[in-house]
Amino acid sequence: MSLDSSHPTKSGSNSKRSFNLTNSNNTGRNNNNKRKRKKEGDSGQQTLGMAWGSNSRSSSRSSFRSAPFTDVGSYMAVKNRKLHEQFDAQASSSSHGGSGSKKPVFYGVSIFVDGYTVPSTQELRGYMLKHGGRFENYFSRQRVTHIICSNLPGSKVKNLRSFSRGLPVVKPTWILDCIAADKLLSWVPYQLEQIASEANNQPKLSTFLGLKSNMVSNDPANGPSTSDNNISEVSNSAEGVKQANQEFDFHMHDSFDEEKVTEPTCSNNHENEVPDSPCEPSASEGSRCSDVQNITESPSVVSDSSKRGHSTSLDPNFVETYFKNSRLHFIGTWRNRYRKRFPTSSRPSTSITPSSSSHRNTIIHIDMVIATFLYSHFLKIVSLYQLLSKTALNYGTNQLLFVILIIHVALLKFHQPTTLLETMELGLESLLETQKHFVLTLSSFLTTLKLMKRHVADKFYGVLHKHCKKVQAMSCDEAILDITDLEMEVNDPEILASLIRKEISDTTGCTASAGIAGNILMARLATRSAKPNGQCYLPPEKVNDFLKELPVKVLPGIGRALDEKLKGRNIKTCGDLRMVSKETLQRDCGQKTGDTLWNYCRGIDNRLVGMIQESKSVGADVNWGVRFKDLKDTQNFLMSLCKEVSLRLHGCGVRGRTFTLKVKKRKTDEEPVKYMGCGDCDNFSHSMTVPMATDDVDVLQRITKQLFSHFHIDVKDIRGVGLQVTKLESADTFIQGNERSSIRSWLVPTSSSKDKKSVQITKKVTKKLQNDDHLHQTRSNSTIDIPPMSELDSDVLENLPPDILSEINHFYGGKLNTFISKHKSEITNLPQNIQGKSQNTETMPTSLSQIDDTVLQQLPEELRNDIIHLLPPHRNHQPQPSSPGPPTSQLWVGDPPQWVGKFRSSHIQILRVFSETYSGLKSNSNLSSLLLKSISFSELIISDDDDDDEGISWLCEILKQYIDLKIDSDLEELHTCFRLLKRLSGKSKALVQVYNLTLPHLQMSVGEKYGGSLHI
Amino acid sequence: MDRKENQYSQRELVEFLQIAITSIIFLKGIYPPGAFERRRFMNLLVHKARHPQLNRYIHNAVNALVPYIQQGLVERIAVIFFKDDRIPVERFIFKINANVNQSCDDGGENAMMDMRSFLMKLSLSEPISAVVSQDWKWEITGYFSSVPESEDGVWISSNAQQWTQPPLITPIKSMNIQPLSLQLYLEHPPPNH
Repeated sequence: MSLDSSHPTKSGSNSKRSFNLTNSNNTGRNNNNKRKRKKEGDSGQQTLGMAWGSNSRSSSRSSFRSAPFTDVGSYMAVKNRKLHEQFDAQASSSSHGGSGSKKPVFYGVSIFVDGYTVPSTQELRGYMLKHGGRFENYFSRQRVTHIICSNLPGSKVKNLRSFSRGLPVVKPTWILDCIAADKLLSWVPYQLEQIASEANNQPKLSTFLGLKSNMVSNDPANGPSTSDNNISEVSNSAEGVKQANQEFDFHMHDSFDEEKVTEPTCSNNHENEVPDSPCEPSASEGSRCSDVQNITESPSVVSDSSKRGHSTSLDPNFVETYFKNSRLHFIGTWRNRYRKRFPTSSRPSTSITPSSSSHRNTIIHIDMVIATFLYSHFLKIVSLYQLLSKTALNYGTNQLLFVILIIHVALLKFHQPTTLLETMELGLESLLETQKHFVLTLSSFLTTLKLMKRHVADKFYGVLHKHCKKVQAMSCDEAILDITDLEMEVNDPEILASLIRKEISDTTGCTASAGIAGNILMARLATRSAKPNGQCYLPPEKVNDFLKELPVKVLPGIGRALDEKLKGRNIKTCGDLRMVSKETLQRDCGQKTGDTLWNYCRGIDNRLVGMIQESKSVGADVNWGVRFKDLKDTQNFLMSLCKEVSLRLHGCGVRGRTFTLKVKKRKTDEEPVKYMGCGDCDNFSHSMTVPMATDDVDVLQRITKQLFSHFHIDVKDIRGVGLQVTKLESADTFIQGNERSSIRSWLVPTSSSKDKKSVQITKKVTKKLQNDDHLHQTRSNSTIDIPPMSELDSDVLENLPPDILSEINHFYGGKLNTFISKHKSEITNLPQNIQGKSQNTETMPTSLSQIDDTVLQQLPEELRNDIIHLLPPHRNHQPQPSSPGPPTSQLWVGDPPQWVGKFRSSHIQILRVFSETYSGLKSNSNLSSLLLKSISFSELIISDDDDDDEGISWLCEILKQYIDLKIDSDLEELHTCFRLLKRLSGKSKALVQVYNLTLPHLQMSVGEKYGGSLHI
Repeated sequence: MDRKENQYSQRELVEFLQIAITSIIFLKGIYPPGAFERRRFMNLLVHKARHPQLNRYIHNAVNALVPYIQQGLVERIAVIFFKDDRIPVERFIFKINANVNQSCDDGGENAMMDMRSFLMKLSLSEPISAVVSQDWKWEITGYFSSVPESEDGVWISSNAQQWTQPPLITPIKSMNIQPLSLQLYLEHPPPNH
């Protein structure tokens, strides 16, 4: 492509042109010379070129040829042609020796190499030369047949069509493989992954059509809510039946447990809004433990205002109640509960090492079917009802049968429950009006049922732990046991499994299936075939046969997308999958997934029992009941969502860097069939990565707001919002230990020698003062070179002759005496603190303003506090000396600073506001962040009682103390504070005053410390 | 404290100051942009002087100052820009507080982060981007709290004159890495000057 890369080409053509060299044995130098010559435009070569290129170029173009190039186009035309000639010439010379009888491999293939490739462009060109292909230096739709490249930039992938013009984009290995096979192979497998995946992901028209027809066929049969059960899709489909039972359980509860049974519509919210104790959130969220008051609250709302209470627009605490009641949330956070209950067992103990290879592992996977438990109890309900109906009440059997029928159908058809449940409710409703007794019995029964159910999981694990030490909990009813070590005692794992199963069914009344195999993967797969209520032993010998016919879909880690992808490659079973090489898998599915797939389809699984996989993302989604009226609603909702996510992050002890906000936007205006459901939605998402991992609510809210603003969606169309946090980092390891010791380490050692040094400095200063009057003059002009007073050693000072001492004192502007007295008090303070203090008060200046701030700053903090406590407040800058005085204490001590607590209960609004705002910030925040926050609260209009002198003086005091605190170390912070204050003062006259009063103090301090005035 | 670690972190400070000073010089634009090459420091884009002499000047100046910083003698390091009349136009001052007597308990965890944000802020700060004509000169000056003992002729007197009035200070960035606190601020002559 470039001039240099076509270098050998030219040598070839030269040889051809000169007609006296049949093979290109020219040296490089020679080539170079010739090239130069050629560039000058030899007319003979030009004409020759025309002859060679005439077949490929139109004659109109050739008219330019003899003339000097008029534009780039004509130049390129000539250049291209020339390159062709050269290539042809070289090809004919290089393939001369080859057997002419066979058609060359790349006959008719013309490649264009784009970007960096392995092998290099030159090598590829060489191959094409040798094997009868063509090599294009410049892309042309007409001449090129294949584009070769190893990697494409994102822009080219996006605009693939404009880049490739529909030509195949193939990896260079294709050429190598073709040569190796000595025939032209299909390029399809060698297609660039980026594009291949693109092509696979791209929805085809046919798939749309297929889906449509599916939906149409589904709808009449199953009810129109196909798209609503996205939540149930999330959960394992294997659990479907069980969930149906649970679902139904809650459902019943909804309609019966509450007194408001007359309003059965409230039970429509079966999937998310389940006011139900089994859904109690995990123990980790202690603050939101099931609160009976709260739970009963929402149904009562329902009964009052029919169905409106569950939407975001009406319930201010929607998110909280949502997650409190969501059953899926319960399942999701169940693990935390489990960890708390069995703390030792669930921890990935390091002692669990992969057992020696000689030892065969045996893993049991147990899957309990809670559904059976519920089902059995449900049958009891029915029988109870029958009993009731027979003995006490005299109801028609028709109704009874109707109810039973509906319940059964609901259990079986969990996936499209809405309509069925509705009908059922209708049936029940009619029933209920007359059969209060039954209802009461049933509801109380269900309550006990739920309580029992919560214990089932605990019982289940109790049994498992009894039998085996290594238990890994998968979910509340699924676990993996590693019985490798037990094999000494238990000869046949099957016996053990059946024992466990029997015990489970004895204690909990649930059936359980078990799969026994050599590793976790196989055990799980075995359980799959053992279901329901059975067990399956899969010895290693049988693994291969077992896997061969197994559809790939059942392997863990293969979801719908990956399954489709594999299907596209005609891979349906694990047997098929085994045919694919590891490299291809890794290439197609990504490094890790490919690896896992390759292992899994061979039954290899190296995971250890007891390992707890750290979650990769933390997030919260709300897809039910989301209805917004205006932007404010949305913001409130986002706020609470952020709170929830932040709580979860805290709960997991992680912080995240990437934040993804997902929004579901309704497709049609119609309300979905499922009450308050999300209906048919388009999904949108935006994400953002921040450099610092965070779990802070404020940051989350800011990010979320920002992300939300990207959507440009009418808030009324939003049907679901979710926030996910990924790129998690552990909060503990957040502080990188190795960076800690960088700078400060080398300054520390000097601290030990500090005392000595200060003596030296003092001595030096005094010596200079004695010797050099002139120096003294210049020095006092610019205070720069005076050592800070704290560096003076008071011992030395005391021992100085009085005249020198007074001179130095003068030098320090009279502050030295204070310093020395203070130092004395410091010394006396150390042994007898209280006594020292009382002594202090006598030697102390009468007001804080008389003390040099710098001196104060240099003192150790405790001492400083003591002094400040002892002194009357610093008040000479305040114009309202009559107002009740600010305190003597240091307002910025502690975390949160003292003033926060003080102002919280203040009767002055402005102080209260600041205090509240500060409390809302992170601990140890700066004043500037407080001010910044105050600015962002646009509604925060600070009370403008101009006679509110007390508030002003308090604020002045805070600011002054803050100045004193920060003047030494953080000029930037003070600068920011005062600029913010200036901005804030536009909002309140009081703040104008505060600003005007404190600014002189700031400037004075800056002048003292930095010898200048702050530019604000 | 073992010697090696000490050396390492000293090198780091030298590097940091060098980069900060070079950034100022680069951003002020007294040399053509071509005089600098792009480098990466703590995953940040920084600049390094191409001209060996310029590079050496900065390097040597900082290197010579660092031992005194360590001893707590250096109070400020100033990058002074002045015109032909030797009256400074701008002074970028690195005020160094080596709080050597403070125990390093907290705040020092994210020294690296602080340095990064320091450099970031430096490159973004408003006053620094003000355009400067290329005929300015500049120098690095160290302000000491006392005259260091070893006076073996390595010191050259400052070219710059003093201002007659206290300057106007614009803070740029403060950084507290215990036990070192570094503040960068800009000094301008007061407007009536």
